[in-house]
Amino acid sequence: MINKLLITIFSVPLLISFLIGGQTGVDLTKYHNPQEINNFLNDLVKSNKGITRLHKIADTPGGNKVYILEIGDQIRMKKKTVPGILVTANFEGINSISSEASLFLINELIKDKEKRNNFTWYILPVGNPDAAWRYFKKPLYEDNRNEKPANDDKDDKTDEDGVEDLNGDGVITLMRVKDPEGEFLSIPGNKKLMKKADWVKGEKGVYKLYSEGIDNDGDGKYNEDGPGGVDISINFPHLFKPFTKKGGDWPGSETEVFGLFKFVFSHDDIAMTMNYGNTNFCLIPPQGGRKSQVDMAKIKVPERIGKFMGIDTDRTYSMKEIMEIVKKVVPAGFEVTESMVASFMGLGAVVNPIKGDLKFYEKISEEYKKYLKKIKLDDKRLDPKKARDGSFELWSYYHLGLPTFSMDFWTLPKVEKKKKDENAITAEKLEKMTKEEFLSLGKEKIEKFLKSVNAPKNIKAEFLINGVKNGVMTPKKMAGFMKNMKKPEDNSSGTPEETAIIDFSEKKLGGKGFIEWKHFNHPTLGDVEIGGISPLSKITPPPSMIGDLVGKQVPFIFELVKKLPLIKISDVKVTDMGAGVYKIKAWLENRGFLPYPTEMGKKNGRISNVIVTLSGKGIKLLEGKKRSIIKSIGGNGTKLVEWLILSSDPTSVKIKSETSIASSDSKTINAGGKK
Amino acid sequence: MKRNLIIGFILIFVITLTGGERFSTDKVKVPLSFDYYYSYEMVVSAVKKLHKAYPELTRLDAVGKSEEGRMIYALTINNPKTGRELDKPGIYADGNIHGNEIQAAEVTLYLANYLLTNYGKNDQITSLVDKKCFYIIPVINPDGRYHFIKDGGTSSSNRGLRRPKDDDGDGLFDEDFPDDLDGDGNICMMRKRDPDGDFKTHPDDPRLMIRVKKGKKGEWKILGSEGIDNDGDGKINEDSEGYVDPNRNWGYDWAPDYVQSGAGDYPFSGVGLKAISEYVVKRPNICMTWLFHNTGGMFLRGPSTKSQEMYPRGDIEVYDFLGNQAERIVPGYRYMISWKDLYSTYGDFGEWMAMTQGTYNFVGELYMTDQETFSTIKETERQKKAIPDEDEGGRGGFFGDKRLEHERLRFDDHLNQGDSFVEWKPFKHPVYGEIEIGGWAKLSSRLSPPFMLKDLVHRNASAIIFSAKHTPEVSLEIQKPEKIGKGLYKVRTTLSNTKAIPTMSFHSKFKKLYPEDTLKVSGKGIKVVAGGNLIDKYTDKVLYKEYKPSVQFLVIPGFSKVEHQFLISGKGEVKFNYFSRHGGKLVKTITLK
Repeated sequence: MINKLLITIFSVPLLISFLIGGQTGVDLTKYHNPQEINNFLNDLVKSNKGITRLHKIADTPGGNKVYILEIGDQIRMKKKTVPGILVTANFEGINSISSEASLFLINELIKDKEKRNNFTWYILPVGNPDAAWRYFKKPLYEDNRNEKPANDDKDDKTDEDGVEDLNGDGVITLMRVKDPEGEFLSIPGNKKLMKKADWVKGEKGVYKLYSEGIDNDGDGKYNEDGPGGVDISINFPHLFKPFTKKGGDWPGSETEVFGLFKFVFSHDDIAMTMNYGNTNFCLIPPQGGRKSQVDMAKIKVPERIGKFMGIDTDRTYSMKEIMEIVKKVVPAGFEVTESMVASFMGLGAVVNPIKGDLKFYEKISEEYKKYLKKIKLDDKRLDPKKARDGSFELWSYYHLGLPTFSMDFWTLPKVEKKKKDENAITAEKLEKMTKEEFLSLGKEKIEKFLKSVNAPKNIKAEFLINGVKNGVMTPKKMAGFMKNMKKPEDNSSGTPEETAIIDFSEKKLGGKGFIEWKHFNHPTLGDVEIGGISPLSKITPPPSMIGDLVGKQVPFIFELVKKLPLIKISDVKVTDMGAGVYKIKAWLENRGFLPYPTEMGKKNGRISNVIVTLSGKGIKLLEGKKRSIIKSIGGNGTKLVEWLILSSDPTSVKIKSETSIASSDSKTINAGGKK
Repeated sequence: MKRNLIIGFILIFVITLTGGERFSTDKVKVPLSFDYYYSYEMVVSAVKKLHKAYPELTRLDAVGKSEEGRMIYALTINNPKTGRELDKPGIYADGNIHGNEIQAAEVTLYLANYLLTNYGKNDQITSLVDKKCFYIIPVINPDGRYHFIKDGGTSSSNRGLRRPKDDDGDGLFDEDFPDDLDGDGNICMMRKRDPDGDFKTHPDDPRLMIRVKKGKKGEWKILGSEGIDNDGDGKINEDSEGYVDPNRNWGYDWAPDYVQSGAGDYPFSGVGLKAISEYVVKRPNICMTWLFHNTGGMFLRGPSTKSQEMYPRGDIEVYDFLGNQAERIVPGYRYMISWKDLYSTYGDFGEWMAMTQGTYNFVGELYMTDQETFSTIKETERQKKAIPDEDEGGRGGFFGDKRLEHERLRFDDHLNQGDSFVEWKPFKHPVYGEIEIGGWAKLSSRLSPPFMLKDLVHRNASAIIFSAKHTPEVSLEIQKPEKIGKGLYKVRTTLSNTKAIPTMSFHSKFKKLYPEDTLKVSGKGIKVVAGGNLIDKYTDKVLYKEYKPSVQFLVIPGFSKVEHQFLISGKGEVKFNYFSRHGGKLVKTITLK
């Protein structure tokens, strides 16, 4: 089925946009290649000049252009007053449905003014177009790297040994070869799946596994240096890992990522990000548990620094205490900041989501689960992937300090274990049985039960029956033993993912999700069998499902954006203190559910403060500031700003609040000497 | 109004007049002089004039532009008659990444000037220039140097990139710089007579102040750097230029601003830095790098943070060899490990060089204020023994030893005729009222008086030259073929590196940064039946490579040999090609009869 849908690179890009009374539609029955998507964007901008703008952020090594489409009423404004939403998709390149989701979103925003109102939308439909093309080319194989030339095996040639479609079926699968040094064997319960032999279980390897292809450069290795360079989805700075095979030389080494850096930092109105890919922060809040160096309440001072500052290094200090100590030893007039101290002490970065932020993630996850139930997409499915080190999602949360969400739209349906024989004995049933009931089960049933709980072989049914008969053993005691026993391993299938794809392939793909092993005469390996899970079938639902999956799930973003912080002046109070002196109080309110900024945004200091200014003709400030700084206002929270002014003549005083991501506001009041 | 305008004109005129004389590019002549500091324009003029004077040995590249559009230049020194640039070991030297650390550029200019003017005159230099390729970027941060020379400042001003940053979080960018209130070109300190102050006049020198003991009455309150509250927020000088530190913005082990101030928004957000990184990446022959800064008298090697892995032992041996020698070449400077002996830095240039480009890298921290001495031998000995009284300002170390400051003042009085210190003078400040302004001048503290400059640049350039001499020098020997069967020959080859630096750093090899050196055997009438690393020539022990024996991968460590043995069948010419990014190219041919 997937094969039939393949479009070769040579095919004429299909026009995917059509105009119906000025509205654009998107064909949700097929996947669109990067060129079709870019054509769509260019056409769209031509016919919607007033509300759309196209930004090219990069030219990829493979010759593709990466675009961000801007949609909104303020696209021409230099300083925007409404929050920006950045929606990115398909940094993995192989997640075709994520790009379709972004097209659907674009379409929703274009056709419905209500939806695009009050925000500026920045949409990046294909984050990794070089890799995205692979879905549309033959042979089909899974590779999420861009086309930057890379000498993967560090020999004397670059990109010289890639895969080959030896059996000509249009897809690249595996080759299994019987080999005395083989490490793999087929799974007893499902001969077509392979697993690594585990000597502890008495298993011995039979096969060697290779990807489909020949040894082009004659170095004894197969397909070890195919075309392709860097996986864009792990080229971002947070927890970037150097010296990996696919991650790139440094964070942002790839134009696709660097272009996005530049774009994001020149659009300080971006208030939230949503990534369409393989993680789902709406469903499962970002995960922690990483080993961290930083505990701001208990900082250990390195010995060499402690010695020099003359303090005890055996105890720990709070940041505040350290600041006090450092201030005393620096020359007069030298300003000490927390970040300066943090870097001097080598405290390192935050690596786990901050508790306060998890609160909103957990609440949103609850709502999202309800939402899925409502749209009837709450069937059991495999879990979304965890956000990888160096991913966009982690960068967005940890470095940008923004509320960061993600969606994966689809994983394989989870295959439930077969229901057990209802008559079979379980430990629970056993626990409640009387002596007589147990004995009435009979030898055969008890024998079956023992096997099902993986009981040691020397424990026989007879032994138990005798034990119960002469009172040495009771059914309850027995249940206790059984409960502690290791559960028998299910040897009948592979990993949950393998089980799921086989099941899905049979039910929905007409068996095309798994290519049956077939013999092939390989030029250097001799008799091999080619087969295995068809590439991308695990992550790409059939095109017929796109409309339902995307159409139902994308709209959740319209619920999310309603939760963004919105800072307004809720009330202003003037008190006449006499003699032309006035006390002014202004309350700043966050009308959104989400805090301003996130806890992480507070920590990294990237989100600008709320600036509250006060101005009026002829007034003199006795107390308070011309530009008051409010560093944060919690979700649904309020903060107070106060001034004491002197104004002998009546005047109007303007109070203005400004933020880059949570709107601006102003209120004018009358103050000053009585007429 | 009109009067103000006229005064303005006069001021500009005076500035151009004095500045014009002192920093005129006409002053720049080849051979270059090193008894004064160059302005940014003079550095540009110097590299252009060097290139013009030695067109056959040099190339001048415009690497890219800075934030404010100033050009970053790179001078390449290579003799094309002895080979292409990329076929020779490359030595890279730069300076002035921090705008205020200006003498760093002079070190690299001196190196260029020294190599070029001595070529053909001094045998060692001639041979060095013929064998190696030098890449020199005198000024990494041209905006910083430009403003440091031109604007009023302290010895630490204009260090960063000209990328505005809202330091005080009030929504305004770079709106409250220090101000040169007395217009003398220096940003000094402000102090006010105040019995509640923490300081009093030093008993031995009224120009210095010392902290008063707890509970005792003070005399002075120190008000910070010279300046006014430009934005009226009640704070003075709180949002000056930047700050993005050009030496925290590189792509290796980069950490954001809250982890380390000055990081910038993302790796390579500095436009000039990005251009320089691209320049370096295109020159894979660079194997030795020197990045100059001030101050403290140090030669630093990585790692620059503790959390990073330790360097491989083999690399440490190379660093020790070069570092110990550098300590001898520049007396008083110490060879140290960055994170351990100084402090941690994330995303610095040196670590990016060593870790992603696989070079051996030193950061040279030029100059030590304790070189400003004014004591007899006896006095020095006495001082060493004396126990400082902490409360009298004797606290030593990083933040200044008052005894040292005292000596520096006398040094300034008698060797520099008072140029380094600005005497305290009264000033009427809009907020503080009657105050005094004074203290160390801009061109002091981190910068030696010009008369000491030549010694500094020569010694540090000599440290570079020593390391350049120890970049790999590889020779290939092929033993006479031995016939071992019908039409089958045994051929042994020896690749020797006579210098200290390996043909690939151990780090690069372990992390597989790029392919190892290759030795390829080819010929029309022959076939390489087997080939591999000869690990014991007496017992004929060879690790034969199973596939493609005609291509061998190898690394030659410093002062070492690597031997191979090939079994070759057939007859005719056999060509041996050696290629190494850092060790150059070699070709040798033998004939099998």
